[in-house]
Amino acid sequence: MTRRASGYFTAGETWLHRRNPVTKLLAVAWTAVSAFVVPPLALPVLIGMVVVGAASTGLLASVVRSLRIPALLFVSIFLVNAFFYPGAIDRLIAIGPVGLSWEGIAFGLVSAGRILAVFVASILFLFTTLPDDLLEALVDKGASHRLAFVVLSAIQLVPRLQAQSAAILDAQQARGLRVAGSVFARARAVVPLVGPIVLGSLIDVRERTLALEARGFGARRDRTAYRVVEDPPVDRWMRIAIVLSLIAIVVAVLAGWLH
Amino acid sequence: MPVVTVDQLNVRYPGRKVPALDAVSVAVEAGQIVSVAGRTGAGKSTLCLAVAGLLPRVVRASVSGRVLVGSVDVTRSTQSDTAGRVGIVFSSPGLQLSSSKPNVREELAFGLENLAVPRDDMDERIDRVMGRLGIAHLADRDPLTLSGGEQQRVAIASIVVMGTDVLVLDEPAAQLDPLGTDEIAGLLRGLANDGRAVLVAEHSAEILAVSDRCIVLASGRVVSTGLPGAALADSVAAVGIGPPTLVVLAMAGGVPPAEAFNEEAVARALAGAGSRAAHLEAATSTRVERATGSGAAFVRDVTPATLEIRGLVHRYPGGVEALRGVDLTVQPGSTVAIVGQNGSGKTTLAKHLNGLLRPDAGHVALDGQDISARLVSDLAGQIGFVFQNPDDQLFNSRVDREVGFGPRNLGLEPSRIARLVENALGLTGLEGERATNPYDLDIPVRKLVALAGVLAMEPSVLVLDEPTMSQDRAGTRRVGSIVDAWAASGRTVIAITHDMEFAARHFARIVVMREGVIVLDEPPSQAFAAQNATLLETTGLKPPPAARVASRMGLSGAPADADALLEMLAARDQRALARSEGYSDEATTS
Repeated sequence: MTRRASGYFTAGETWLHRRNPVTKLLAVAWTAVSAFVVPPLALPVLIGMVVVGAASTGLLASVVRSLRIPALLFVSIFLVNAFFYPGAIDRLIAIGPVGLSWEGIAFGLVSAGRILAVFVASILFLFTTLPDDLLEALVDKGASHRLAFVVLSAIQLVPRLQAQSAAILDAQQARGLRVAGSVFARARAVVPLVGPIVLGSLIDVRERTLALEARGFGARRDRTAYRVVEDPPVDRWMRIAIVLSLIAIVVAVLAGWLH
Repeated sequence: MPVVTVDQLNVRYPGRKVPALDAVSVAVEAGQIVSVAGRTGAGKSTLCLAVAGLLPRVVRASVSGRVLVGSVDVTRSTQSDTAGRVGIVFSSPGLQLSSSKPNVREELAFGLENLAVPRDDMDERIDRVMGRLGIAHLADRDPLTLSGGEQQRVAIASIVVMGTDVLVLDEPAAQLDPLGTDEIAGLLRGLANDGRAVLVAEHSAEILAVSDRCIVLASGRVVSTGLPGAALADSVAAVGIGPPTLVVLAMAGGVPPAEAFNEEAVARALAGAGSRAAHLEAATSTRVERATGSGAAFVRDVTPATLEIRGLVHRYPGGVEALRGVDLTVQPGSTVAIVGQNGSGKTTLAKHLNGLLRPDAGHVALDGQDISARLVSDLAGQIGFVFQNPDDQLFNSRVDREVGFGPRNLGLEPSRIARLVENALGLTGLEGERATNPYDLDIPVRKLVALAGVLAMEPSVLVLDEPTMSQDRAGTRRVGSIVDAWAASGRTVIAITHDMEFAARHFARIVVMREGVIVLDEPPSQAFAAQNATLLETTGLKPPPAARVASRMGLSGAPADADALLEMLAARDQRALARSEGYSDEATTS
């Protein structure tokens, strides 16, 4: 895999690509809050919205592909809840204290669904937002430049670590390390695989710090920006709508109108 | 009036007994390139950090003395004093770029943003620097997809664009191929000619050749200074290692130091037989490194294996065909150097030898058995693979435990493991470091630890990916003696390398790759001979320095190093002498 500066960004000219990164970030936050406060029956609507969003940008296939990684998480959230739901009455199968229950299945589906909605929204954000645009947009909205840079570096750390892990896996297997087989063998492989990532990252950090210093990073308080991030009026209206609707949802939930 | 004045600089890192720099003084004037030579750990990097204003502000150390850049003492200044005045470039091309910018143009803009240069002025400044440094064609490329040489040029540009008139470079060519090194050398000369002051720590001959002056450091002290040729020749005793090949040949030919890196002048001088005898003596006295022992005695058990590669094809996801039909047979006990430009398929080929990559067509067989069904970890005992970056594998807190990791994976008995570890430490010269944490060692030594870790598994076939990269000449000699010892015991060594002199000295076969196929497979004396010069050029390679001088002298054959060329000349002199005596004898008898 070749590492790219743009991380997960997929170039495009869709309506979502054109949104200001802060608008999109707010939309992700909106999804995250809504997913956990709306009643279960509204959840399919929410998931439907993010799926339609993905489809409208032509990125649905990429989004589905990226679900392979957290798929195990969704399945385990569902299974754990389905079998271990506390105080379940309507049991389908019972093995001592453990049992599959209708309440558990329902709760498991809802929990997995909430996380799925947030995950898809976040992935869509990463796919349609150039990290640097996010940085400039945040700075433009008054965020500290250093803080924004840290956020940006964190986003970009993931693909970098992926490439590094692949190299480490090669190197340790070439020294006879078995990474497949019994649970014991797999457990034994953890330190040789994780150790170099941690130590190597520390060395990288030192060189990167020195290089950033040499480029004058943080030398002055006033800083200019090369990238111009568009913030059309429609984005401002959208942000107001997002914030207002989020307040409305939270108030409605607190007041019990949605139950 | 020098732009950089280092005056009686002392640096000591916390927790270290010996100082990193001890009363070092050096001056660099505008328009000058001053190179800093010396072995690993001599203090070259420390001097670079100090001049770049990073000591002690960013890297903690106790510092005394002065480092003036212009009129500012950068050891006592803030970042806003130094940013835009002095900049530093390191050896790892990838780590210096901000790695967040989608293209080269914005990468260059990063420094300007930090200096609060108005947006409207940025493009003009960026275009000017890109044009001057010959990277305008890279403007829209993603920096992370560039070659190492291109990334280094972008890194230099990103410092120059800030208006810096002092440029410091710490081994900028250590990780580059020969073509990339030439590019950097030319670039630095151009920048100096524009009036900038350049301080560069480097041991590649290409960079030393473009320097105006050289200072040689040993254990933190300046041991000689002057024209590069002279400074390197004078420091042999203090540094304990011979100068680069061209300098040895220049001394043998009595070439003045100013011309020591001029191949044509060296060839002309050596061709004049008269001057040769007088200077041969001087050249011989520089060969101290010959005395360092080889580890042949340590290598014992021999399990020879034949490697056979047939019709190997490999495609990476996305359709790039990295190997397009490679055939190669490697007999037990042979040494093969695989050379070629970055992207020619060398590493892809090597990764098929131990199953890290699987062929899309063709096969790899070890002693007649196809290896495609075998696990990488099962092959590890027979085929040892040493990767370029040691930091992808080191994780133990002690060197000896790190070296024992491979043998432990093979499930050997503890007593045997202990013996193997001792042998490997002996071969790599790390006996004194067995209890050291690998990460307290410099990168060239860490590379030796990684090498020792594979040697300890006593594989029949040893595959080395760029083993001499970032090694100094002493480290390169060490790796060379290990290759010799391994081959002498009947095992196979295959190395990917950009170091043609290393390849010519220690390998019996030179395999040249270009665009996924083998274009040349000959012993070094033929591969690097004059008739192949054009072919090598198409692969971004050039013969080792001694062979280049020999071909300028019109000699047939390609000597691997200075000794080989001088021996060749001595033999020719003797033959000529014998002929002329024979002729005069005939004259008297008739």
